[in-house]
Amino acid sequence: MSPNFTLYAALLFYTAGTLIALASLFTRERRSQHAALVLMIGGFVCHTIWIGTICARTHHPPLTNLPEAAAFVAWCIFVVELALFIRYRVQAASFFVYPLVLMLLTVAAVVHEPFAQMDPALRSSLFTAHVLLSAVGVAALLTGLAFTALSYAQDRALKSKHRGPLWEWIPSLSVCRTLSYRILAVGFSIYTLGILAGILWSYRTTAGPMDMRVKQLGGITAWILFAMLLQSYISGAYRARRTALISVCAFVAIVVAMLGIHHV
Amino acid sequence: MPLILIGVNHRTAPVGVRERMSVADAQLAATLDELKAIAPIDGVALLSTCNRVEVILSAESEDVIEAFVDWLSARGGSTRSELEKHLYILRYADVARHLFRVASGLDSMVVGEPQIGGQVRTAFLAAQQRGAIDPLLHRLFEETIRVARKVRSETGIGEHAVSVPYAAVELARKIFGDLHGLQALLLGAGKMSELTAEHLAGFGLKQIFVANRAHERAEEMAARFRGMAIRFDEIDPHLATCDIVIASTAAPHYVVEAQQVERALTARRMRNLFLIDLSVPRNLDPAIAQVDGAYLYNIDDLQQVADANRELRLQKAEEAEEIVAREVDHFRRRLLARDAVPTIVELQERLELIRTAELEKCLRKLGPVTADQRQALELLTRQIVNKILHYPILRLKESAEEPQERESLRQTIRKIFGLR
Repeated sequence: MSPNFTLYAALLFYTAGTLIALASLFTRERRSQHAALVLMIGGFVCHTIWIGTICARTHHPPLTNLPEAAAFVAWCIFVVELALFIRYRVQAASFFVYPLVLMLLTVAAVVHEPFAQMDPALRSSLFTAHVLLSAVGVAALLTGLAFTALSYAQDRALKSKHRGPLWEWIPSLSVCRTLSYRILAVGFSIYTLGILAGILWSYRTTAGPMDMRVKQLGGITAWILFAMLLQSYISGAYRARRTALISVCAFVAIVVAMLGIHHV
Repeated sequence: MPLILIGVNHRTAPVGVRERMSVADAQLAATLDELKAIAPIDGVALLSTCNRVEVILSAESEDVIEAFVDWLSARGGSTRSELEKHLYILRYADVARHLFRVASGLDSMVVGEPQIGGQVRTAFLAAQQRGAIDPLLHRLFEETIRVARKVRSETGIGEHAVSVPYAAVELARKIFGDLHGLQALLLGAGKMSELTAEHLAGFGLKQIFVANRAHERAEEMAARFRGMAIRFDEIDPHLATCDIVIASTAAPHYVVEAQQVERALTARRMRNLFLIDLSVPRNLDPAIAQVDGAYLYNIDDLQQVADANRELRLQKAEEAEEIVAREVDHFRRRLLARDAVPTIVELQERLELIRTAELEKCLRKLGPVTADQRQALELLTRQIVNKILHYPILRLKESAEEPQERESLRQTIRKIFGLR
């Protein structure tokens, strides 16, 4: 059996789950949401097996090229979403998170690259820490952005006095903002540690500062934008439109950084 | 065994009839005892709310209906012919359908209202305490409570407020989530603001401040909510500390301007502020709606929310009706399968008697056998009996939906197996 069988199975489950979840926006049926969650969990199981297969074959974390990184980030995002669902029963985030997970895994499947063996010279615990922390940090930050989007949608619905299709699914504005802030704060800390580990690793391997290529520029820009976002939460200078704008820019920067990932 | 429901509700009878027939909670136990003695029945329960009075019965025959109609006429102080105009009598699956709909709030005056579920449960528990519930009614009420819970959780039919004060509560919860520990500021002491504050206070507000031109009236209202009366010129600092502002004064001008709210929000470090303007002419500057972090709703906005919710409940009601229809069908099947149970039990007992008698004869002929051998013979004979019974039992259960076929099959089986 092809090692990518579980990847395609995961894609199939995620596609069905995402479509049903999005359809429930219009049908407003809770059963559809539950069915979508079950399908997504099915996809997650296949996804986990596929990542395990990569680790077993390459003997390193699945983060050395774009498809692997995209798949791992998608996996982490779903873990965070699942944990939040179990803790807070917030279903609305799934409308953003499921498509994101599907999109990232589609990237992994479409940008087909063979399982890469890492250059032994680059094998170090610092590199492993860099890629793992960065991936987990990015996953948390993207989930945080999903909650920021939810709180923006809720804010607009309350301001305009017109309920959108999300109205029923979104928890209170206060819960959305608190979750968004907490996830962004945790994600930002992990992401910062990931970047620091990357800088240190770069010094050790090249005996100089890191190169400023697309990946690095995107990553640093995203870091600055997330710092601004967090600052607006902490200082109480939160403004709905400005926050939404920074969030969109931060999302683009993260995507650019991820697209810049090539073989190490 | 017939399942019967006799009653009146807000659709069939005017309040004058309902109020005469209604039974107060304190009288429920005695009334149930009275109902048990009216006619030979197996079980009885009484559901009495402001919108309905219903007697639910299980009895051997439908003949008991007359006695209960007479009892209801006497209770309502009307003649039988007068009462019959308002009365409905339901049987079998229609009883289940009706109770499922009632408990789910589908038969209520305000569709989806949540209290009725609790009232049905109370009626069940009261009847159970008086020993008035037989297994059939027990099952019916358990199913009713389960279906009502299912309808509410799957459709969310009761989740949306349909009155102005509740719409305000719903919006406050959409903004703040939990209202515990929040503070409210009442500007003016109008009836509507009092009612809204009362609803909000029910959700755990920590403190309510009341400002009114006539300070005595503010003190009076503050005392009602165990709150605090403040002077009108003290509004600004309270805007910064309170989370909900309800305005309902007779002032012909704005009593809170957008700049005041902006200052308050800066002091609050952008913690949200929910402002409800119940007055006409409006007391809160409409420009407040443009301020980030401030959510302003006037009386028309709240009315629109309530109207939209009413529409939404009607949509959810269609979904709920489908669930009820499915559940009634399940209940009906189980009820019908129940009718076949006595024949099945009798058949099993008959064959078990034959099996044990024949086994004993065989063992006597065989002489001494080991425990293992005896166990093997037991197993063999039991399996043969089970195989023989399999299809007759299956057919009896399957034929449950066709009364004529069921009866004919039952008679055939009784003849073939020599059942009494």
